[in-house]
Amino acid sequence: MVDIAPEQARTALDAADRARHQVAEEVGLPRGYWWAMATGWLLLGVLGTVLPPWLAGIATVAFGVGHGVLAARLLDGRRRTDRLQVSAAVAGRRIPLVVVGMLFGLVAVTVLVALALDADGAGHAGIWAAVLTAAVVGFGGPEILRVLRRWVRA
Amino acid sequence: MTEARFDELIHPSTRLSLVATLAAADWAEFAFLKDRLQLSDSALSKQLTTLEEAGYVATERRLIGGRRKVRARLTSTGRDAFNAHIEALRAIVADAVAPSREPPA
Repeated sequence: MVDIAPEQARTALDAADRARHQVAEEVGLPRGYWWAMATGWLLLGVLGTVLPPWLAGIATVAFGVGHGVLAARLLDGRRRTDRLQVSAAVAGRRIPLVVVGMLFGLVAVTVLVALALDADGAGHAGIWAAVLTAAVVGFGGPEILRVLRRWVRA
Repeated sequence: MTEARFDELIHPSTRLSLVATLAAADWAEFAFLKDRLQLSDSALSKQLTTLEEAGYVATERRLIGGRRKVRARLTSTGRDAFNAHIEALRAIVADAVAPSREPPA
């Protein structure tokens, strides 16, 4: 039998758990992803204002498809930095759902803000709503995702 | 179910943290490990070499953007040894918590 006191074993388990948590903190998407998303958001806001609705609709679908293709590898949250790749077991399977849910939520926010601005008589309400959401995504995307992950324990 | 097996090589605190970090990742760069474990280059190199010689860790040197970078990952042997060691530690703690089986006087 190994001559290790239970307190020592507990301390070792705590150290191993701390190390795992430190790696789990690295789960997320690269900063560049959020800024690309913010740029796309802004672009869609402008296109939605200047293009006819059917063309703006096509642009929105194209953006969604492009996002699905280009960001598919990133959405699992295991490649936030190029310094490590978090294991699938630690990252879990719910990160893509959390990110997509967050994006749907931000779409709803954009629409609500645009409607509110329009009702208030603001010109180019769609663009201003997109500017606001793009700023939120660009500056606060990683933090919002972190909070959402905590809420849903993903 | 992983069999509990105390591992003297993994148990020292620095090495345990290093192996636990690698166990939670597919791979990690030398610089990341150095930052997280707050070790010097030479200390981390020494720990990695020890683990590599035991077959627990594999390192890979890559040239990225003109800079040489070292990536480390846990081998399947290392992962099994780590899991078995964690089970052994849990067993020690569980034995201490379990009520005594001595019959009442």
